[in-house]
This record gives sequence, C-alpha cells and structure tokens, in this order.
Amino acid sequence: MQFEFPNSIKSDFDGYEILIDFYNKTSNLKFDSIVLNFNNVEWFEANLTAVLGSILSNAQNNFNDIKIENLLDKLNFLLSRNHFLSHFGGLKIQDFYDTTIKYRKFKVNEEKLFKGYLDYELLSRQVLPQMSDLLKKKINESIFEIFSNAVIHGRCQNIFTCGQYYPTQNRLDFTIVDLGKTIKTNVNDYLKNSLSGSDAIKWAIIEGHTTKQGSIPGGLGLSLIREFISKNQGKIQIVSEDGYWEQKKEEETVNNFYQTFPGTIVNLEFNVADTSHYYLSSEVDEENIF
Amino acid sequence: MKKIKINVFEQIAGSAAVSSEDGEELFNKIVKGLEEKDVLLILDWTNITLITSTFLNTSIGQLYSRYDSSFLRERLKIENLTKEDMELLKRVIERAKEYFKNKEKIDSSIKETLGDE
Repeated sequence: MQFEFPNSIKSDFDGYEILIDFYNKTSNLKFDSIVLNFNNVEWFEANLTAVLGSILSNAQNNFNDIKIENLLDKLNFLLSRNHFLSHFGGLKIQDFYDTTIKYRKFKVNEEKLFKGYLDYELLSRQVLPQMSDLLKKKINESIFEIFSNAVIHGRCQNIFTCGQYYPTQNRLDFTIVDLGKTIKTNVNDYLKNSLSGSDAIKWAIIEGHTTKQGSIPGGLGLSLIREFISKNQGKIQIVSEDGYWEQKKEEETVNNFYQTFPGTIVNLEFNVADTSHYYLSSEVDEENIF
Repeated sequence: MKKIKINVFEQIAGSAAVSSEDGEELFNKIVKGLEEKDVLLILDWTNITLITSTFLNTSIGQLYSRYDSSFLRERLKIENLTKEDMELLKRVIERAKEYFKNKEKIDSSIKETLGDE
C-alpha cells in the first residue's frame, strides 16, 4: 500500500495528527508492502523521525516490507545524516553540519547506553551556542526524566529517540516515544475513571500526582521539567492516545485527536540561547535534609 | 558511632545516577547498613554528574516506607552532593514524606471499606 504525507510536518498538533493518522492506516497491515511516498514533502522536522520510526518499527514487527521513496535531496540528506533512513534500507552519512541528534531505538534496560548517546550527541556539540554547565545539566536531566518515565510507566520493549538543533531559531528539539502502557491508561486505571487523553495528561503533570502505588514514591519528574521549561522559555508537548497537552513558556494548551496513538510521545524544546542564571530557590540545610 | 562510607559512584559503576534498578541496589545497600546498630552511613556522591528524581525516589525516597525522619537524621549523612542536586534531593524527600502520609490515609480507607463489606 502506498501512503503520501503532506507538504510540511512539524512538531505541533497538526504534525502529530498526520503521524497518528499514518499509524492508524498501517496498524492492521501484515505481510504487506508499505511504500511511504515523500513526493509532496518539503519540510519534515527531523526530531519527528522518533515518532515515524516507532510506527514503522511496529509495522516491521508485523512483517511488513517498508520503502521510503521520492525524498527531496535536502530531506534525503537530512534523514541520512540523522541515520533514520539507515533503519529502512538507506544510507548513513556523516553529519558535517553537526545539527542532528541521531535517531535511535533503545531497549528499556539500555539507560547507560542512552547516557553515552546523550553525552556524545548532545553535550559535546561544538555547534551549539555557549551554554552554562548548569543549563546543559538541566537539559540532560529533563531528557533523562522522560526516558526514565517511559521505562517505569510504559513497560514497553523499545524507546525511540531523535533530536534536532535548529540554529536559526536557537532551539533544540528532542523527542522520545514509546509504544507501551500510556499515561491515559495508567491514570484511568489508577483513578478508576475514564478521563480523556488530555484530561489524563493534565492530571499526571500536577506535582504529587502519581500512579505508583508501591513503596517507591513519585510525582515529581514532570513538575521539575515544567519548572525548567518555563524558566528556559522552551516548550514541552505530550501525546497520549487521543490526548495532546503542550506547555509553551508558561502557557498551556490542550486538545484531543480524532484518532489514537498507542503510546506516548514527549517532545522537549529547549531555548539554547538561554542566558538565565538558575539560582537555587533556597539554601539546603544538609544536616537536617532528612 | 562507627562511620561507614558508601561511595555511590562505585556502587552504581558510573557517573549517571539515573535508573531505578541502580537506585534499588543502593536502597538495599543502605537498608542493610542501617540494620547494623551504632553505624552512621555516609553517602558519598563524589564523581556523580547526573541524577534523576527516579533514581532518588528509589534509593532515598523509598527509605521513608521503613524509617522516619529522626532515625534517618541520626543514621544517614550526605556528602559531596552539588548544591543543585542537594535541592533536588530535598524535593524528593519532601515528596516522599507526603507520599507515605497520603498512602497511610489511602490504605486505611481501603481497609475500612473492606471491613464494611
């Protein structure tokens, strides 16, 4: 079966909707041939290959043959530089522009490998603007919090990641996707309710809210990221099944998709030109910390 | 009281304190150490460059499922944690205390409900 994407796919509600639609059109195919025709596509934000990769990987698990065709030269070059195409029969080429953070598929127990990937792909980048060590640390921690959330809550097999640095906009997008147990399902199971996807995300992002029930506390990771994103003037987007939630700087937006994505997408957008000083809110008394 | 140091870097075999598995191992080590009387455990964070709330929830936050603040203040000390990470640890501890306070309420309300049936 042949599929075509529209002219432009960005990291926004419309972009995610296009990819969710593609998932729904391909999810029931087995032992088939999927041809993804990029003929019309002039703009595809490279970090979104984490989403596309998760969908195609799922299709490959169902024994479908995948072909990606008719990419414009500049897009072919970009998706070869970030190694996405190499997973689907294309080539890997070196990224002399140094703006891509490679597309990767991790197993859930590969946290140490993920650390090495971030160190190499993100923190050692010369092309990024001069960032304070604390800003780099905060970006790194935010990405890790999301990766850990996918491991703990998603109970999935794989985690798909990809990032892209957009130099003219001074932004760095990093997308993490898993096809495991969703925020919507976890929250509704915990609350014994049937909240919509966006309402479930809204519940989950409140500090202290956690679906954990054992002896390990939770409910802090997303709050920490939201506080940082707000100071950094960045963005966080979460997709869970039919739910969409976004925080841009301090402003929140919610929406619901017509169709459902069988997992979680988190896109973190950092302002890499941030020169803020990250002062501590209070001095911690080490002697009485417990 | 005998002072015993636990080197977190050595314990988790790396500079990234991020996974809940590593957190669980450190938690078990701390619990084992606390079982011994008259021992002050010192958690030394030298060379740890990355810490997530997930790791701290599992390794430290989970301690509040067994011990209270006064016991931990007496028997456990933190050393060589950066100021930023110390603030993160403080948030994790506050959250853990809140979590177990609420959990007690939830557990007792479940018991009451089951008792009614």
